[in-house]
Amino acid sequence: MLDICNIYKDFGSLKVLKGVSAHVEKGEVISLIGVSGSGKSTLLRCMNLLETPTFGEVWMEGKLLTQPDPYLHPEIIRASKTFEKLKAAGLADEDAIRKIKKEDLLHEKHGAEGKGYVRLMKEFYAANHLDANLARQKMGMVFQQFNLFNNLSVKDNITLAPVKIGTAKLKQAIREGQKTTETKESIKAAAEKKAMELLARIGLEDKADSFPASLSGGQKQRIAIIRALAMEPDVMLFDEPTSALDPEMVGEVLDLIKELAKSGMTMVVVTHEMGFAREVSDRVLFVDEGYIKEEGTPEEIFRNPKDARLKDFLSKVL
Amino acid sequence: METFISNIIRIMSRYGHVFLLEGVAYTLLLSLIAVAGGSVLGALFAFGKRGKIPPLRILINALVEIVRGTPLLLQLYAGVFILPRLIPALNELPDIVSVSVVLIINSAAYVSEVIRSGIQAVDIGQTEAARSLGLSERTTMWNVVLPQAVKNILPALGNEFITVIKETSLASTFYVGDLMTSYLKVRGNTFLTLECLTIVGILYFILTFTLSKLLAAAERRMKHA
Ligand SMILES: Nc1ncnc2c1ncn2[C@@H]1O[C@H](COP(=O)(O)OP(=O)(O)OP(=O)(O)O)[C@@H](O)[C@H]1O
Ligand SMILES: [Mg+2]
Repeated sequence: MLDICNIYKDFGSLKVLKGVSAHVEKGEVISLIGVSGSGKSTLLRCMNLLETPTFGEVWMEGKLLTQPDPYLHPEIIRASKTFEKLKAAGLADEDAIRKIKKEDLLHEKHGAEGKGYVRLMKEFYAANHLDANLARQKMGMVFQQFNLFNNLSVKDNITLAPVKIGTAKLKQAIREGQKTTETKESIKAAAEKKAMELLARIGLEDKADSFPASLSGGQKQRIAIIRALAMEPDVMLFDEPTSALDPEMVGEVLDLIKELAKSGMTMVVVTHEMGFAREVSDRVLFVDEGYIKEEGTPEEIFRNPKDARLKDFLSKVL
Repeated sequence: METFISNIIRIMSRYGHVFLLEGVAYTLLLSLIAVAGGSVLGALFAFGKRGKIPPLRILINALVEIVRGTPLLLQLYAGVFILPRLIPALNELPDIVSVSVVLIINSAAYVSEVIRSGIQAVDIGQTEAARSLGLSERTTMWNVVLPQAVKNILPALGNEFITVIKETSLASTFYVGDLMTSYLKVRGNTFLTLECLTIVGILYFILTFTLSKLLAAAERRMKHA
């Protein structure tokens, strides 16, 4: 479903991720745990490209969401002028690749004749790329701060994306001369029907016309979750969904997430709720110092941690 | 004191139309032109600055910085005297047009900053949530960010209007008929400097005070909406 390949992320001189790879299977629930500032959110946000990885690739169902990373494709980097030069200077393949800097390759891109490296990169990109907007339509995200649209009613919060994206696709189809029975109105009606069903599922139909400002934190977060579900995503990303909630509201939100997990939704959850991670996760990843230091089943991670820093972390949070 | 007040009354009865029909009307008209034109141009500036064409971005930034960093009076001189020398075709333009154009550009520079900071003040989480749903940059801007930014922008635009009303007084340097021009005219006929100044002062104050009260009321209503 999702493949994270050797992701690096720098913010200026701060190196937050230093080579992270992970694989998310369909239907799997993965928890990311780790101390504050370890890069859990950054990793999650790289998955749906809210952050652009400095190096590395993100793949979703065989489609490349990022720019191709030449370092992951030796055959492409070997076609570069820079590589040729280093080889001519007598370096071995691996040493030469290691020695090539990103700037060298950028320079190459702008070189006069667009052959070799540049052409291969373009071809690889064209053959595998999926537009980030399209990818995000299939990746729901839930934020710590809810981020309901303040200017829209609850119902409009939920229907905005399905309606806008649905009508854009309809226009595209019409432009391409495809036959369709859909109209703008039918898309809107379907989105509203769906929104009401989702609201009914969390018992908040009566809030359809309310504005976010009048809702409790727990209500906001549950609506944020169904807003993402309205796009019928293949995978859901949660970034500490209960951290900004009053303690008495944590339960209602966790219950909804658990219910989703049971329904077979693929999920990646950044969480400080260890009990929750233990209960719902298929796998737990411990993010630390820019790496995934340890990963395993909840049993392995919580009962039998190996990494010293993981042990230390668990002793503080459990 | 009594003569002062009776002088004012006499001036108003004889020259009232100059102050009100010419002065106030022209000042309001100029301000309205400046703010309306400035808002449109300022919005274009703001979007150009956020846009993806680097030369345009640099050009707009330079213009905005120059306008914000030099006195309006100097800009008016440039518009009325200097530019026509460089571009002879502009010689034919009446001063009021040059003055209006300068006021519009000046206002646009400030408005573009108002719009930029109004957009920036909208929580970045709103944009991230919209993008995470797969919405395009454009849809996010029009349906989520701008409707919220407008609440920050409109009050600031109102303040800009008030500022411009006062700043149009500089246009009187070119005798374009605004409130300050009517002061110059009437003083020339009556030689009653203090009285004339008092009259235009009161008129300016009435204009800006009424406007700011209206704006405050509008703002209150907007908050409840
Ligand atoms: N946009 C940014 N610009 C600069 N630095 C950033 C940015 N985003 C995150 N960082 C920094 O990167 C590091 C990792 O941040 P991140 O939010 O990923 O940590 P986290 O593990 O999610 O922490 P927490 O548990 O507190 O949410 C932190 O030091 C943070 O200050
Ligand atoms: Mg975080």
